Amino acid sequence: MKLLRTLILRPLRRDLLRTALTVLSVALGVAVVVAIDLAGDAATGSFRSSMQTLVGRTDLEIVANGGVDERVMGTLTGLPVDAKFAPILEAQAVIPGVGAVPLYGADLLGESRILLSKPLAERVRGNRISFNLNGRGVSYTAGPKVDGTGDFLVLDIAEAQRALGRFGKLDRIDVTVSPGEDFAKVDRAVRAVLPAGYLLNRPGTRSEENQRMLRAFRWNLRVLSYISLVVGAFLIYNTISISVVRRRAEIGILRAVGAARLTVLALFLAEAALLGVVGGALGVALGRVLAEATVGLIAGTVNALYTTSRPAAIALGSTEAMGGILTGALVSLGSAFAPAREAMRVAPTEAMSRGAREHHASLRWKRGLAGAFVLAGMAWAAAQVDPLGGYPVGGYAAALFAIGASALAAPTLVLAVNRATRVATRRRAESLLAGRSLTASLARSSVVVAALATAIAMMASVGIMVGSFRETVTVWLDSQLRADLYVRPAAPSAAGEYPPLPRGIESVLESVPGVEAVDLFHGVPFHYHGERATLGGGRIEIVRRYGRLRFLPGENRDAILRSLPGADRVIASEPFANRHHLRAGDRIVVPIGARNVSVTIAGIYYDYSSSQGYLVMDRATLLRYLPDQPATNAAIYLSRGADAQRTARELELRTAGYGVTVAPNRTLRRTAIEIFDRTFAITWALEAVAIVVAMLGAANSLLALVLDRRRELGLLRYLGASAAQVRGMILTEAAFLGLLAMLLGLALGFALSLVLIFVVNRQSFGWTIQFHPPVALLAGAMGLVWCVTVLAGLYPARVAAALRPVDVIHEE
Amino acid sequence: MPQPRLELRRVSKSYSDGAQPVEVLHGISLAAEAGTITALLGRSGCGKTTLLNLAGAMDFPSEGEVLIDGRATAALSDAELTALRRTRIGFVFQFFQLLPTLTVLENVELPLLLAGARNSAATARDRLRWVGLEEKASGLPYQLSGGQQQRVAIARALVHSPDLLIADEPTGNLDTAGGDQVLALLRDAATRFGATILMATHSAEAAAIADVRVSLRDGRIQSLERR
Ligand SMILES: Nc1ncnc2c1ncn2[C@@H]1O[C@H](COP(=O)(O)OP(=O)(O)OP(=O)(O)O)[C@@H](O)[C@H]1O
Ligand SMILES: [Mg+2]
Repeated sequence: MKLLRTLILRPLRRDLLRTALTVLSVALGVAVVVAIDLAGDAATGSFRSSMQTLVGRTDLEIVANGGVDERVMGTLTGLPVDAKFAPILEAQAVIPGVGAVPLYGADLLGESRILLSKPLAERVRGNRISFNLNGRGVSYTAGPKVDGTGDFLVLDIAEAQRALGRFGKLDRIDVTVSPGEDFAKVDRAVRAVLPAGYLLNRPGTRSEENQRMLRAFRWNLRVLSYISLVVGAFLIYNTISISVVRRRAEIGILRAVGAARLTVLALFLAEAALLGVVGGALGVALGRVLAEATVGLIAGTVNALYTTSRPAAIALGSTEAMGGILTGALVSLGSAFAPAREAMRVAPTEAMSRGAREHHASLRWKRGLAGAFVLAGMAWAAAQVDPLGGYPVGGYAAALFAIGASALAAPTLVLAVNRATRVATRRRAESLLAGRSLTASLARSSVVVAALATAIAMMASVGIMVGSFRETVTVWLDSQLRADLYVRPAAPSAAGEYPPLPRGIESVLESVPGVEAVDLFHGVPFHYHGERATLGGGRIEIVRRYGRLRFLPGENRDAILRSLPGADRVIASEPFANRHHLRAGDRIVVPIGARNVSVTIAGIYYDYSSSQGYLVMDRATLLRYLPDQPATNAAIYLSRGADAQRTARELELRTAGYGVTVAPNRTLRRTAIEIFDRTFAITWALEAVAIVVAMLGAANSLLALVLDRRRELGLLRYLGASAAQVRGMILTEAAFLGLLAMLLGLALGFALSLVLIFVVNRQSFGWTIQFHPPVALLAGAMGLVWCVTVLAGLYPARVAAALRPVDVIHEE
Repeated sequence: MPQPRLELRRVSKSYSDGAQPVEVLHGISLAAEAGTITALLGRSGCGKTTLLNLAGAMDFPSEGEVLIDGRATAALSDAELTALRRTRIGFVFQFFQLLPTLTVLENVELPLLLAGARNSAATARDRLRWVGLEEKASGLPYQLSGGQQQRVAIARALVHSPDLLIADEPTGNLDTAGGDQVLALLRDAATRFGATILMATHSAEAAAIADVRVSLRDGRIQSLERR
């Protein structure tokens, strides 16, 4: 205990600034992980139907792709079982000043007023409430308030059907089995009378579907959040290494007076654990704050890409808090193990001079390089592995191996670049000294280079991935969005929801002069093997003639599309096919409406609009199974020579009052790219934190380098160096470190981007991204990072220049 | 009479260590002429190193003044002090103070590099030859013996042909043979380069080569003898 105080705590206190920097880097790493976890939970954890409190316990739910026919209700209530059947409709109401709020249709025994949940009632005053439903303004008298969590509205089922224009349709039927009744009997009886295509699910299935849908998204976010932690780990390694190097003599003396090896090991591990726990605790607190800031970003992405969710309150439980602290401690201990073991091996008669020791250390690069090659090989092998339980485990492993490989290659790089620039650097005292000092403390400088490189690589790889993805999506939008104008309901709608176009609009659209063809599309949210997807019906003949759908290599677009009309044949989007392991020619059974339909996959086309995927058939085929299914959007092709602007204006005039918007191709593309950019905002935020952590590390290490060489720096002043030269030397070291880190980081980033694009993304989301590195963006980012590294050297440089030579010259 | 290169006028130095200041040097007056060797003698802690730092313009007196070529060091700006060190002053230390990461030649060359001088490598090689270690030019300091390291340090201290050489116990860490070589070099430096040498020492051998011997005791000059 006394040892701990004198050998560990006192130095930590003496170097308060450096200790603070180390703790802060751990704290930031932990904070990001905690924040992403908390914000992710809050942003996605609120799918649970807020209705549950209203209808009470539900044992089963009946759903059907394309909607449940309300006549089933009659059959069900006639069953000789003791159970309650509740018909439910669900929609989104947009209340001015409040936003989108779920609206439920339920059996309220003909109540004509609208019920508000208590929380909502507090925000909406007055006894009449007006809102938008499917793009149309409606207004109701407010009825009694109902219990329930969150905001929602309830209408009587008949009124809801009328308001939504969904006569005879239900979204689901909730089944509640009475206490005394046999559950299995009810299940059997209900199944027996349900049409073949109907699904009888346990409640919670939807929430599970939601979680499964978001699984890949959340995992990738989580893994990204570990970057800062990895960078932090390098810095702990660095800090402990420094403290071992500095206290070598003390350790030698300790061993000489009889301290056991394990005592020495324990001492340094205790130092790491201390830094980790303090950093972890600080990180949890910081993470809680960061979570507030990120929850909106994550919820935005989820809403844009997946499904409606309303962010819940952020809940920091003791499990999360302990988890964060433990993470900090474990990462610290793990990364301190190697230097602590080195301390353990210090001989009692340790008397090697620094020059000799460093000379020996620099001979170790060969071993590192060999290790780097082995790890690179392992990374390559891991990248070939198939996903494990739906997770791209091999991809993550490959990324870790690649980071390890680059860390091991760092010493070689430092030496090689130094050798290569030897002649140039030798001409100026600053660069000569800077270069030598980096190679002399090779072990330490390579860790800084590796840490910085990892952060840079993460940034570069994600940059390359996002850039490539963006370019792929842009190219795809160009080929996909061939129509000149798009018509869809004016109501805002969430991803995965398809508000209907008003009936009869088709003839209106076709009557406008200049319109050559109208492709009506019917989107139907659809459940398939426990996953959510979209079933679509389009005018395939028009798609074939005017569209540019791209299919997987080797598939014949024309032949595929020709084979669809009049047959139970579908085309699947690439993510759908990958998610369900389907290939062209496969036959699958799809529940549509009342029936189980066996369809053949005619082809697989590229699509980047949904990672859940599409299954598209000819419109006529779809309408055969779902007769009243309304169209959800329309694509309009103009005749050659038609004035797009004039036609659009004419379309708008004629559809006025239908509650639709007419958007030109260009607008749609822009919106799509905007959504794309918004969804990656969080990614960039995470990158920024990783870079900040790396910068703290650079400053920390340079400061250590300065403090360790005080005597040398003082000597330089005796030999005629000006304060500016000393400062310049430290800044040159910073610049050198930044340059090396950039070289290594770019190489690693390139490798990681391949893993991200071709392994992680493919296995998580199922789409093929073309490789398009955004060169200008990368160059800019690298320049910025380099500048920041040099900035990180400013404070250490000032400390170095301010040393009093007479005071430090006799220190050792 | 030529003006002395280095002159100390009633110099006092005190360190404010803790509460009350401790006076280490009391009213020292001393002058050293060009080409002479002055040895500072005295017990450990009597203020030799302190005096050398004042003489080399690395530190400044609390009272009195240190004049180099008639100019008070305390009145010089940082830039002037740096220029002074680059052109006029060389230092030799008890523990050699070579930079472990630079080669022997680079160590010698360093003051010239810092001053941005031309032909630095050739001059450095010249000095290395003078101290008899040219063949070690590309070696690293830790590969040399203590005596050899000190000779390299002397080559470094004289590489820019300074007028004033400050040596703090240059033989303090060497055996007799190594010490003799170092002393021979210092003597040679004074006669051949005309350097004014101020040297702190404990050794009689070192004192023996000096033109002037100054004994310090408790921060005061106890005796001063000329040869
Ligand atoms: N920075 C300082 N702060 C306070 N006191 C100091 C400082 N530097 C030196 N001293 C004190 O000044 C006195 C003279 O020190 P100095 O180093 O000049 O002695 P010295 O004669 O060189 O001794 P030695 O022969 O052991 O090298 C000593 O008592 C020392 O404790
Ligand atoms: Mg001394």
